[in-house]
Amino acid sequence: MFDNYLIRADSLRNEVVDGTVVGFKMAVRIANYRGVFLSLHTGYFLEVDGVTYPREAQSFEINGKPPRTFEEIKSAVWEHWDFDDEAILHVACPGGLAPGEHTVRFQQCVIAAYGYLPTDKVWVETPPELGTGAGSDKTPNVVSYVLTLDEKQDV
Amino acid sequence: MKLGVSLYSYQQSQFFRELTLEDQIREVGEHLPYADGIEIVDEMSLRYPDPGEDFVSRWFMWMERYGTVPVTMDVSFDVLQFRDHVMSYDEVTERLERDLRLAKRLGFSNVRVLSTCPIEVLIAALPLAEELDLRLGKEVHQPMRLEGRQVGEIVEYVERSGTHHLGIVPDFGIFGFRPSEVLLAQYERRGASREASAASVELSAMLQAGTAPFALDDVSNQTAGNLRVAWKNFVSRGGCEAGLAKPFAALKAFAESRVIEPTEIDYVVVAEAIMQSNTSLETMRELAKHVISCHGKFNNMSPVPNSPGEFHDLAIDTAGAIAALREGGFEGYVNTEYEGQRYSQDRTRAEMMDEVEQVRRHQAMLRRLIGVTADAGAQ
Repeated sequence: MFDNYLIRADSLRNEVVDGTVVGFKMAVRIANYRGVFLSLHTGYFLEVDGVTYPREAQSFEINGKPPRTFEEIKSAVWEHWDFDDEAILHVACPGGLAPGEHTVRFQQCVIAAYGYLPTDKVWVETPPELGTGAGSDKTPNVVSYVLTLDEKQDV
Repeated sequence: MKLGVSLYSYQQSQFFRELTLEDQIREVGEHLPYADGIEIVDEMSLRYPDPGEDFVSRWFMWMERYGTVPVTMDVSFDVLQFRDHVMSYDEVTERLERDLRLAKRLGFSNVRVLSTCPIEVLIAALPLAEELDLRLGKEVHQPMRLEGRQVGEIVEYVERSGTHHLGIVPDFGIFGFRPSEVLLAQYERRGASREASAASVELSAMLQAGTAPFALDDVSNQTAGNLRVAWKNFVSRGGCEAGLAKPFAALKAFAESRVIEPTEIDYVVVAEAIMQSNTSLETMRELAKHVISCHGKFNNMSPVPNSPGEFHDLAIDTAGAIAALREGGFEGYVNTEYEGQRYSQDRTRAEMMDEVEQVRRHQAMLRRLIGVTADAGAQ
Protein backbone atom coordinates (compact mmCIF):
# COMPACT_ATOMS: atom_id res chain seq x y z
CA MET A 1 0.00 0.00 0.00
CA PHE A 2 1.04 3.59 -0.67
CA ASP A 3 4.15 2.06 -2.27
CA ASN A 4 5.82 5.22 -3.55
CA TYR A 5 4.94 7.28 -0.49
CA LEU A 6 6.20 5.18 2.42
CA ILE A 7 9.34 7.33 2.43
CA ARG A 8 8.73 11.07 2.16
CA ALA A 9 10.44 12.04 -1.12
CA ASP A 10 12.25 15.12 0.23
CA SER A 11 13.32 13.61 3.56
CA LEU A 12 16.67 11.91 2.88
CA ARG A 13 19.36 13.67 4.95
CA ASN A 14 22.78 12.93 6.38
CA GLU A 15 22.86 12.89 10.15
CA VAL A 16 25.46 15.02 11.87
CA VAL A 17 26.38 14.63 15.54
CA ASP A 18 28.89 17.08 17.03
CA GLY A 19 30.13 18.03 13.58
CA THR A 20 30.62 14.41 12.43
CA VAL A 21 28.42 12.70 9.84
CA VAL A 22 27.35 9.49 11.59
CA GLY A 23 24.76 8.23 9.15
CA PHE A 24 21.60 9.18 7.29
CA LYS A 25 17.89 9.39 7.99
CA MET A 26 14.51 9.56 6.27
CA ALA A 27 10.85 10.10 7.17
CA VAL A 28 8.60 7.03 6.90
CA ARG A 29 4.92 6.11 7.22
CA ILE A 30 3.20 2.89 8.15
CA ALA A 31 2.48 0.54 5.22
CA ASN A 32 -1.01 -0.37 6.33
CA TYR A 33 -4.47 1.20 6.71
CA ARG A 34 -4.14 1.34 10.48
CA GLY A 35 -1.65 1.96 13.25
CA VAL A 36 -0.21 -0.79 15.43
CA PHE A 37 1.30 -1.31 18.84
CA LEU A 38 4.88 -0.17 18.33
CA SER A 39 6.39 -3.42 19.61
CA LEU A 40 5.15 -5.17 16.45
CA HIS A 41 7.46 -3.13 14.27
CA THR A 42 10.66 -5.13 13.72
CA GLY A 43 12.64 -2.99 11.25
CA TYR A 44 13.38 -2.45 7.58
CA PHE A 45 14.89 -4.15 4.64
CA LEU A 46 16.99 -1.21 3.46
CA GLU A 47 19.42 -1.14 0.59
CA VAL A 48 21.00 2.09 -0.65
CA ASP A 49 22.96 1.97 -3.92
CA GLY A 50 23.41 -1.78 -3.49
CA VAL A 51 24.56 -1.67 0.15
CA THR A 52 22.30 -3.36 2.71
CA TYR A 53 21.87 -1.75 6.13
CA PRO A 54 20.76 -4.39 8.64
CA ARG A 55 18.34 -3.98 11.52
CA GLU A 56 21.26 -3.46 13.92
CA ALA A 57 22.26 -0.31 12.00
CA GLN A 58 18.75 1.14 12.28
CA SER A 59 17.01 3.15 14.98
CA PHE A 60 13.50 4.51 15.01
CA GLU A 61 12.17 7.86 16.23
CA ILE A 62 8.45 8.17 16.99
CA ASN A 63 6.07 9.65 19.55
CA GLY A 64 8.39 12.50 20.52
CA LYS A 65 11.00 10.18 22.00
CA PRO A 66 14.70 9.91 21.06
CA PRO A 67 15.63 7.29 18.46
CA ARG A 68 15.40 3.72 19.77
CA THR A 69 16.97 0.52 18.46
CA PHE A 70 14.58 -2.18 17.31
CA GLU A 71 15.66 -4.22 20.34
CA GLU A 72 14.29 -1.35 22.48
CA ILE A 73 11.20 -0.94 20.28
CA LYS A 74 10.42 -4.58 21.02
CA SER A 75 9.54 -3.67 24.60
CA ALA A 76 7.22 -0.77 23.63
CA VAL A 77 4.26 -3.12 24.06
CA TRP A 78 1.76 -0.46 25.23
CA GLU A 79 2.91 2.35 22.96
CA HIS A 80 1.10 2.81 19.65
CA TRP A 81 2.35 3.99 16.28
CA ASP A 82 -0.74 5.83 15.07
CA PHE A 83 -1.72 5.71 11.38
CA ASP A 84 -1.38 9.48 10.92
CA ASP A 85 2.14 9.80 12.26
CA GLU A 86 5.38 10.13 10.38
CA ALA A 87 8.45 8.52 12.00
CA ILE A 88 12.15 9.02 11.37
CA LEU A 89 14.32 6.06 10.44
CA HIS A 90 17.95 6.66 11.43
CA VAL A 91 20.72 4.58 9.86
CA ALA A 92 24.26 4.31 11.19
CA CYS A 93 26.73 4.85 8.33
CA PRO A 94 29.91 6.76 9.20
CA GLY A 95 30.49 9.48 6.62
CA GLY A 96 26.87 9.28 5.47
CA LEU A 97 25.75 9.38 1.84
CA ALA A 98 27.28 11.37 -1.00
CA PRO A 99 25.38 14.37 -2.36
CA GLY A 100 23.00 13.68 -5.25
CA GLU A 101 20.63 10.86 -6.16
CA HIS A 102 20.43 7.48 -4.42
CA THR A 103 18.52 4.32 -5.18
CA VAL A 104 16.79 3.10 -2.06
CA ARG A 105 15.16 -0.33 -1.92
CA PHE A 106 12.81 -0.55 1.02
CA GLN A 107 10.42 -2.82 2.87
CA GLN A 108 8.90 -2.35 6.31
CA CYS A 109 8.33 -5.33 8.59
CA VAL A 110 5.43 -5.11 11.04
CA ILE A 111 4.28 -8.42 12.49
CA ALA A 112 0.64 -7.37 12.75
CA ALA A 113 -1.79 -9.93 11.42
CA TYR A 114 -5.38 -11.03 11.12
CA GLY A 115 -5.37 -13.16 14.24
CA TYR A 116 -3.27 -16.25 14.91
CA LEU A 117 -0.83 -17.45 12.26
CA PRO A 118 1.19 -20.67 11.91
CA THR A 119 4.37 -18.54 12.14
CA ASP A 120 3.50 -16.98 15.54
CA LYS A 121 5.76 -19.13 17.73
CA VAL A 122 8.70 -18.91 15.34
CA TRP A 123 8.38 -15.11 15.18
CA VAL A 124 8.43 -14.86 18.99
CA GLU A 125 11.88 -16.46 18.86
CA THR A 126 13.10 -14.68 15.71
CA PRO A 127 11.20 -12.04 13.73
CA PRO A 128 11.00 -12.73 9.98
CA GLU A 129 13.97 -12.09 7.76
CA LEU A 130 13.75 -8.54 6.43
CA GLY A 131 12.93 -8.13 2.75
CA THR A 132 11.21 -11.47 2.32
CA GLY A 133 7.72 -9.98 2.45
CA ALA A 134 6.91 -11.89 5.64
CA GLY A 135 5.34 -9.43 8.05
CA SER A 136 4.70 -7.04 5.17
CA ASP A 137 1.39 -8.35 3.89
CA LYS A 138 -0.03 -5.01 2.76
CA THR A 139 3.12 -4.20 0.74
CA PRO A 140 4.62 -7.62 -0.03
CA ASN A 141 7.01 -6.29 -2.69
CA VAL A 142 10.27 -4.43 -2.01
CA VAL A 143 9.76 -0.87 -3.30
CA SER A 144 12.48 1.10 -5.11
CA TYR A 145 12.86 4.85 -4.67
CA VAL A 146 15.22 7.31 -6.28
CA LEU A 147 15.83 9.99 -3.67
CA THR A 148 18.02 13.04 -3.69
CA LEU A 149 20.05 13.71 -0.58
CA ASP A 150 18.99 17.03 0.87
CA GLU A 151 21.87 18.91 2.46
CA LYS A 152 19.68 20.50 5.10
CA GLN A 153 19.75 18.98 8.58
CA ASP A 154 16.14 19.02 9.74
CA VAL A 155 13.89 16.32 8.38
CA MET B 1 -32.49 -0.80 5.88
CA LYS B 2 -30.20 2.05 6.88
CA LEU B 3 -27.07 3.36 5.17
CA GLY B 4 -23.70 4.46 6.43
CA VAL B 5 -20.02 4.53 5.54
CA SER B 6 -17.03 2.85 7.05
CA LEU B 7 -14.37 5.54 7.17
CA TYR B 8 -11.96 2.75 6.14
CA SER B 9 -13.16 3.89 2.70
CA TYR B 10 -11.17 7.12 3.12
CA GLN B 11 -7.88 5.53 4.27
CA GLN B 12 -5.91 6.94 1.33
CA SER B 13 -7.27 10.46 1.80
CA GLN B 14 -6.31 10.24 5.45
CA PHE B 15 -2.83 8.89 4.65
CA PHE B 16 -2.18 11.83 2.31
CA ARG B 17 -3.73 14.25 4.83
CA GLU B 18 -6.34 15.32 2.30
CA LEU B 19 -9.30 14.58 4.59
CA THR B 20 -9.26 14.85 8.36
CA LEU B 21 -11.54 12.68 10.45
CA GLU B 22 -13.96 15.60 10.70
CA ASP B 23 -13.87 16.04 6.90
CA GLN B 24 -14.76 12.35 6.49
CA ILE B 25 -17.69 12.60 8.90
CA ARG B 26 -18.88 15.81 7.20
CA GLU B 27 -18.77 14.05 3.80
CA VAL B 28 -21.09 11.33 5.11
CA GLY B 29 -23.43 13.74 6.89
CA GLU B 30 -23.66 16.46 4.25
CA HIS B 31 -22.97 14.86 0.88
CA LEU B 32 -24.50 11.39 1.05
CA PRO B 33 -28.29 11.63 1.01
CA TYR B 34 -30.05 9.23 3.42
CA ALA B 35 -26.76 7.96 4.93
CA ASP B 36 -26.10 8.78 8.57
CA GLY B 37 -24.14 5.77 9.86
CA ILE B 38 -20.46 6.01 10.82
CA GLU B 39 -18.21 2.99 11.13
CA ILE B 40 -14.52 3.27 11.99
CA VAL B 41 -11.44 1.11 12.38
CA ASP B 42 -10.24 2.15 15.82
CA GLU B 43 -6.53 1.98 15.02
CA MET B 44 -7.02 4.01 11.83
CA SER B 45 -9.26 6.83 12.97
CA LEU B 46 -8.27 7.31 16.61
CA ARG B 47 -5.30 8.09 18.77
CA TYR B 48 -5.19 4.57 20.14
CA PRO B 49 -5.77 3.11 22.68
CA ASP B 50 -6.90 6.30 24.45
CA PRO B 51 -8.03 9.17 22.21
CA GLY B 52 -8.43 11.47 25.24
CA GLU B 53 -11.40 13.28 26.73
CA ASP B 54 -11.08 16.35 24.48
CA PHE B 55 -11.38 14.12 21.46
CA VAL B 56 -14.44 12.36 22.85
CA SER B 57 -16.19 15.74 23.27
CA ARG B 58 -15.26 16.76 19.72
CA TRP B 59 -16.49 13.40 18.41
CA PHE B 60 -19.97 13.87 19.85
CA MET B 61 -20.03 17.47 18.68
CA TRP B 62 -19.31 16.28 15.10
CA MET B 63 -22.06 13.65 15.34
CA GLU B 64 -24.52 16.36 16.32
CA ARG B 65 -23.28 18.94 13.84
CA TYR B 66 -23.36 16.59 10.83
CA GLY B 67 -26.38 14.53 11.85
CA THR B 68 -24.44 11.26 11.98
CA VAL B 69 -24.62 8.22 14.25
CA PRO B 70 -21.77 5.98 15.49
CA VAL B 71 -22.82 2.49 14.35
CA THR B 72 -19.99 -0.03 14.37
CA MET B 73 -16.37 0.11 15.57
CA ASP B 74 -13.98 -2.37 13.94
CA VAL B 75 -11.28 -3.80 16.19
CA SER B 76 -8.25 -6.01 15.61
CA PHE B 77 -5.97 -8.11 17.72
CA ASP B 78 -2.28 -8.65 17.13
CA VAL B 79 -1.20 -11.76 19.00
CA LEU B 80 2.51 -10.87 19.00
CA GLN B 81 2.01 -7.54 20.78
CA PHE B 82 4.00 -8.67 23.83
CA ARG B 83 6.76 -10.11 21.64
CA ASP B 84 7.97 -12.59 24.28
CA HIS B 85 4.97 -14.92 23.88
CA VAL B 86 1.93 -15.47 21.70
CA MET B 87 -1.14 -13.91 23.32
CA SER B 88 -3.42 -16.38 25.06
CA TYR B 89 -7.19 -16.35 24.54
CA ASP B 90 -7.45 -14.59 27.92
CA GLU B 91 -5.16 -11.82 26.72
CA VAL B 92 -7.07 -11.47 23.43
CA THR B 93 -10.25 -11.23 25.50
CA GLU B 94 -8.73 -8.49 27.66
CA ARG B 95 -7.86 -6.51 24.55
CA LEU B 96 -11.39 -6.95 23.20
CA GLU B 97 -12.83 -5.83 26.54
CA ARG B 98 -10.74 -2.65 26.44
CA ASP B 99 -11.96 -2.03 22.88
CA LEU B 100 -15.57 -2.57 24.02
CA ARG B 101 -15.15 0.14 26.65
CA LEU B 102 -13.64 2.47 24.05
CA ALA B 103 -16.54 1.79 21.65
CA LYS B 104 -19.04 2.56 24.41
CA ARG B 105 -17.24 5.76 25.28
CA LEU B 106 -17.67 6.90 21.66
CA GLY B 107 -21.33 5.94 21.52
CA PHE B 108 -21.11 2.99 19.14
CA SER B 109 -23.81 0.29 19.16
CA ASN B 110 -21.75 -2.53 17.68
CA VAL B 111 -18.20 -3.86 17.68
CA ARG B 112 -16.95 -5.86 14.72
CA VAL B 113 -14.24 -8.43 15.42
CA LEU B 114 -12.02 -10.05 12.79
CA SER B 115 -13.15 -13.23 11.07
CA THR B 116 -10.23 -14.98 12.77
CA CYS B 117 -11.38 -14.16 16.31
CA PRO B 118 -11.90 -17.46 18.18
CA ILE B 119 -15.46 -18.14 19.39
CA GLU B 120 -14.03 -18.75 22.88
CA VAL B 121 -12.91 -15.10 22.98
CA LEU B 122 -16.31 -13.84 21.83
CA ILE B 123 -18.08 -15.89 24.48
CA ALA B 124 -15.65 -14.71 27.16
CA ALA B 125 -16.21 -11.04 26.25
CA LEU B 126 -19.97 -11.41 25.88
CA PRO B 127 -20.91 -10.62 29.53
CA LEU B 128 -19.21 -7.20 29.22
CA ALA B 129 -20.83 -6.60 25.83
CA GLU B 130 -24.22 -7.34 27.37
CA GLU B 131 -23.52 -5.11 30.35
CA LEU B 132 -22.52 -2.24 28.01
CA ASP B 133 -25.34 -3.10 25.60
CA LEU B 134 -22.92 -3.48 22.68
CA ARG B 135 -23.48 -6.09 20.02
CA LEU B 136 -20.46 -8.16 18.95
CA GLY B 137 -20.30 -9.11 15.29
CA LYS B 138 -17.82 -11.48 13.72
CA GLU B 139 -16.85 -10.43 10.24
CA VAL B 140 -17.54 -12.91 7.47
CA HIS B 141 -14.98 -11.97 4.86
CA GLN B 142 -14.09 -13.67 1.59
CA PRO B 143 -13.01 -16.40 1.06
CA MET B 144 -14.96 -17.40 4.20
CA ARG B 145 -18.53 -18.45 3.55
CA LEU B 146 -21.80 -18.11 5.40
CA GLU B 147 -22.01 -21.88 5.33
CA GLY B 148 -19.65 -23.84 7.54
CA ARG B 149 -18.28 -23.95 11.05
CA GLN B 150 -17.18 -20.33 11.54
CA VAL B 151 -20.67 -18.90 11.16
CA GLY B 152 -22.43 -22.04 12.34
CA GLU B 153 -20.81 -21.97 15.78
CA ILE B 154 -22.00 -18.40 16.34
CA VAL B 155 -25.57 -19.11 15.25
CA GLU B 156 -25.61 -22.21 17.43
CA TYR B 157 -24.35 -20.29 20.47
CA VAL B 158 -26.87 -17.48 19.93
CA GLU B 159 -29.76 -19.91 19.62
CA ARG B 160 -28.66 -21.91 22.67
CA SER B 161 -27.98 -18.92 24.93
CA GLY B 162 -30.65 -16.55 23.66
CA THR B 163 -28.19 -13.64 23.69
CA HIS B 164 -29.06 -10.55 21.65
CA HIS B 165 -25.48 -9.30 21.69
CA LEU B 166 -23.67 -11.65 19.30
CA GLY B 167 -23.93 -12.14 15.56
CA ILE B 168 -22.19 -11.67 12.23
CA VAL B 169 -21.00 -8.80 10.04
CA PRO B 170 -21.14 -10.02 6.43
CA ASP B 171 -18.66 -8.31 4.14
CA PHE B 172 -20.18 -8.11 0.67
CA GLY B 173 -16.88 -9.33 -0.76
CA ILE B 174 -18.31 -12.80 -0.01
CA PHE B 175 -20.75 -12.13 -2.85
CA GLY B 176 -17.88 -11.48 -5.26
CA PHE B 177 -17.93 -13.83 -8.23
CA ARG B 178 -14.70 -12.91 -10.00
CA PRO B 179 -11.50 -10.97 -9.19
CA SER B 180 -11.98 -7.24 -9.50
CA GLU B 181 -10.79 -5.69 -12.75
CA VAL B 182 -8.71 -3.16 -10.80
CA LEU B 183 -6.90 -5.94 -8.92
CA LEU B 184 -6.10 -7.73 -12.20
CA ALA B 185 -4.93 -4.48 -13.79
CA GLN B 186 -2.50 -3.92 -10.93
CA TYR B 187 -1.10 -7.44 -11.30
CA GLU B 188 -0.63 -6.82 -15.03
CA ARG B 189 1.30 -3.61 -14.30
CA ARG B 190 3.52 -5.74 -12.08
CA GLY B 191 4.24 -8.15 -14.92
CA ALA B 192 1.42 -10.71 -14.89
CA SER B 193 0.19 -11.89 -18.27
CA ARG B 194 -3.26 -11.19 -19.70
CA GLU B 195 -3.69 -14.94 -20.07
CA ALA B 196 -3.36 -15.29 -16.30
CA SER B 197 -6.09 -12.68 -15.74
CA ALA B 198 -8.35 -14.43 -18.25
CA ALA B 199 -7.67 -17.79 -16.56
CA SER B 200 -8.55 -16.32 -13.18
CA VAL B 201 -11.89 -14.98 -14.47
CA GLU B 202 -12.59 -18.28 -16.26
CA LEU B 203 -11.82 -20.39 -13.17
CA SER B 204 -13.98 -18.11 -10.99
CA ALA B 205 -16.93 -18.80 -13.28
CA MET B 206 -16.23 -22.55 -13.15
CA LEU B 207 -16.05 -22.55 -9.35
CA GLN B 208 -19.32 -20.62 -9.21
CA ALA B 209 -21.02 -23.02 -11.62
CA GLY B 210 -19.61 -26.09 -9.87
CA THR B 211 -17.68 -27.19 -12.95
CA ALA B 212 -14.14 -26.54 -11.67
CA PRO B 213 -11.69 -29.46 -11.74
CA PHE B 214 -11.30 -29.40 -7.93
CA ALA B 215 -13.13 -28.70 -4.67
CA LEU B 216 -12.03 -25.89 -2.37
CA ASP B 217 -11.66 -28.12 0.73
CA ASP B 218 -10.08 -26.01 3.51
CA VAL B 219 -9.56 -22.96 1.32
CA SER B 220 -12.61 -21.10 2.60
CA ASN B 221 -11.52 -21.48 6.25
CA GLN B 222 -8.51 -19.23 5.68
CA THR B 223 -8.16 -15.47 5.41
CA ALA B 224 -7.30 -14.25 1.92
CA GLY B 225 -3.97 -12.83 3.13
CA ASN B 226 -2.89 -16.06 4.80
CA LEU B 227 -4.02 -18.04 1.77
CA ARG B 228 -1.91 -15.89 -0.56
CA VAL B 229 1.16 -16.53 1.62
CA ALA B 230 0.48 -20.29 1.70
CA TRP B 231 -0.02 -20.39 -2.07
CA LYS B 232 3.20 -18.48 -2.77
CA ASN B 233 5.09 -20.95 -0.58
CA PHE B 234 3.46 -23.86 -2.38
CA VAL B 235 4.40 -22.53 -5.81
CA SER B 236 7.96 -21.59 -4.92
CA ARG B 237 8.94 -24.35 -2.50
CA GLY B 238 6.18 -26.97 -2.69
CA GLY B 239 4.38 -28.15 0.42
CA CYS B 240 1.45 -26.76 2.40
CA GLU B 241 -0.92 -27.84 5.15
CA ALA B 242 -2.88 -31.02 4.45
CA GLY B 243 -6.30 -29.47 3.73
CA LEU B 244 -4.85 -27.24 1.01
CA ALA B 245 -2.76 -29.86 -0.80
CA LYS B 246 -5.40 -31.16 -3.22
CA PRO B 247 -6.88 -27.81 -4.30
CA PHE B 248 -3.41 -26.25 -4.59
CA ALA B 249 -2.10 -29.08 -6.79
CA ALA B 250 -5.16 -28.90 -9.06
CA LEU B 251 -4.98 -25.11 -9.18
CA LYS B 252 -1.34 -25.26 -10.22
CA ALA B 253 -2.22 -27.71 -12.99
CA PHE B 254 -5.05 -25.43 -14.13
CA ALA B 255 -2.73 -22.41 -14.27
CA GLU B 256 -0.22 -24.39 -16.32
CA SER B 257 -2.95 -25.46 -18.73
CA ARG B 258 -3.90 -21.86 -19.47
CA VAL B 259 -0.65 -19.90 -19.23
CA ILE B 260 2.52 -20.91 -21.08
CA GLU B 261 5.43 -21.11 -18.62
CA PRO B 262 3.67 -19.15 -15.87
CA THR B 263 5.79 -16.86 -13.75
CA GLU B 264 5.30 -16.58 -9.98
CA ILE B 265 2.97 -13.60 -10.42
CA ASP B 266 0.91 -15.49 -13.04
CA TYR B 267 0.31 -18.23 -10.46
CA VAL B 268 -0.71 -15.59 -7.94
CA VAL B 269 -3.21 -14.10 -10.39
CA VAL B 270 -4.84 -17.42 -11.30
CA ALA B 271 -5.16 -18.19 -7.56
CA GLU B 272 -7.33 -15.09 -7.08
CA ALA B 273 -10.16 -17.31 -8.36
CA ILE B 274 -10.09 -19.37 -5.15
CA MET B 275 -10.46 -16.22 -3.02
CA GLN B 276 -14.14 -16.06 -4.04
CA SER B 277 -16.48 -17.39 -1.37
CA ASN B 278 -19.24 -18.76 -3.62
CA THR B 279 -21.61 -18.43 -0.71
CA SER B 280 -25.37 -18.60 -1.22
CA LEU B 281 -27.87 -15.74 -1.17
CA GLU B 282 -30.42 -18.14 0.28
CA THR B 283 -28.14 -18.65 3.30
CA MET B 284 -27.87 -14.86 3.64
CA ARG B 285 -31.66 -14.59 3.71
CA GLU B 286 -31.89 -17.29 6.38
CA LEU B 287 -29.17 -15.70 8.51
CA ALA B 288 -30.44 -12.12 8.20
CA LYS B 289 -31.70 -12.12 11.81
CA HIS B 290 -28.13 -12.75 13.00
CA VAL B 291 -26.67 -9.80 11.12
CA ILE B 292 -25.31 -6.98 13.31
CA SER B 293 -24.38 -4.66 10.43
CA CYS B 294 -22.87 -5.11 6.97
CA HIS B 295 -19.73 -4.07 5.18
CA GLY B 296 -20.86 -2.88 1.78
CA LYS B 297 -17.52 -3.87 0.29
CA PHE B 298 -16.59 -2.78 -3.23
CA ASN B 299 -13.42 -2.33 -5.26
CA ASN B 300 -14.41 -0.23 -8.25
CA MET B 301 -17.59 1.53 -9.33
CA SER B 302 -17.75 1.48 -13.12
CA PRO B 303 -20.58 2.65 -15.42
CA VAL B 304 -23.50 0.24 -15.85
CA PRO B 305 -23.67 -0.49 -19.60
CA ASN B 306 -26.60 1.32 -21.26
CA SER B 307 -27.64 3.09 -18.04
CA PRO B 308 -26.15 6.57 -18.16
CA GLY B 309 -25.24 7.94 -14.74
CA GLU B 310 -25.55 4.56 -12.97
CA PHE B 311 -22.58 2.71 -11.54
CA HIS B 312 -21.90 -0.76 -10.15
CA ASP B 313 -19.08 -3.03 -9.02
CA LEU B 314 -19.00 -5.58 -11.83
CA ALA B 315 -17.41 -8.28 -9.65
CA ILE B 316 -19.72 -8.24 -6.61
CA ASP B 317 -23.42 -9.15 -6.48
CA THR B 318 -24.52 -6.28 -4.25
CA ALA B 319 -28.07 -6.37 -5.64
CA GLY B 320 -28.44 -10.01 -4.66
CA ALA B 321 -27.06 -9.36 -1.17
CA ILE B 322 -29.43 -6.43 -0.52
CA ALA B 323 -32.44 -8.39 -1.78
CA ALA B 324 -31.58 -11.39 0.42
CA LEU B 325 -31.12 -9.18 3.49
CA ARG B 326 -34.39 -7.38 2.85
CA GLU B 327 -36.31 -10.65 2.37
CA GLY B 328 -34.75 -11.92 5.59
CA GLY B 329 -36.05 -8.87 7.47
CA PHE B 330 -32.74 -7.09 8.10
CA GLU B 331 -33.32 -3.49 9.20
CA GLY B 332 -29.84 -2.47 10.33
CA TYR B 333 -27.01 -0.62 8.64
CA VAL B 334 -25.20 -1.39 5.41
CA ASN B 335 -21.98 0.61 5.59
CA THR B 336 -20.05 1.27 2.40
CA GLU B 337 -16.53 -0.14 2.62
CA TYR B 338 -14.33 0.89 -0.31
CA GLU B 339 -11.17 -1.18 -0.62
CA GLY B 340 -10.10 -0.86 -4.27
CA GLN B 341 -8.00 2.24 -3.73
CA ARG B 342 -5.06 -0.02 -2.80
CA TYR B 343 -5.01 -1.43 -6.33
CA SER B 344 -3.85 1.91 -7.71
CA GLN B 345 -1.36 2.64 -4.96
CA ASP B 346 1.60 1.36 -6.95
CA ARG B 347 1.09 4.51 -9.04
CA THR B 348 1.56 8.21 -8.40
CA ARG B 349 -0.97 10.10 -6.28
CA ALA B 350 -2.40 11.76 -9.41
CA GLU B 351 -3.19 8.33 -10.90
CA MET B 352 -4.79 6.94 -7.76
CA MET B 353 -8.54 6.62 -7.28
CA ASP B 354 -10.79 9.32 -5.89
CA GLU B 355 -12.26 7.77 -2.74
CA VAL B 356 -14.89 10.46 -2.26
CA GLU B 357 -16.29 9.99 -5.77
CA GLN B 358 -16.16 6.17 -5.53
CA VAL B 359 -18.08 6.19 -2.24
CA ARG B 360 -20.67 8.64 -3.63
CA ARG B 361 -21.27 6.27 -6.57
CA HIS B 362 -21.60 3.27 -4.25
CA GLN B 363 -24.07 5.10 -2.05
CA ALA B 364 -26.12 6.07 -5.10
CA MET B 365 -26.23 2.38 -6.04
CA LEU B 366 -27.26 1.37 -2.51
CA ARG B 367 -30.07 3.95 -2.49
CA ARG B 368 -31.24 2.57 -5.82
CA LEU B 369 -31.17 -0.99 -4.48
CA ILE B 370 -32.97 -0.32 -1.22
CA GLY B 371 -35.46 1.98 -2.93
CA VAL B 372 -34.86 5.40 -1.43
CA THR B 373 -34.52 8.62 -3.37
CA ALA B 374 -31.70 11.14 -3.14
CA ASP B 375 -34.01 13.55 -1.35
CA ALA B 376 -34.02 10.87 1.30
CA GLY B 377 -37.58 9.68 1.84
CA ALA B 378 -38.16 5.93 1.76
CA GLN B 379 -40.51 5.05 -1.09
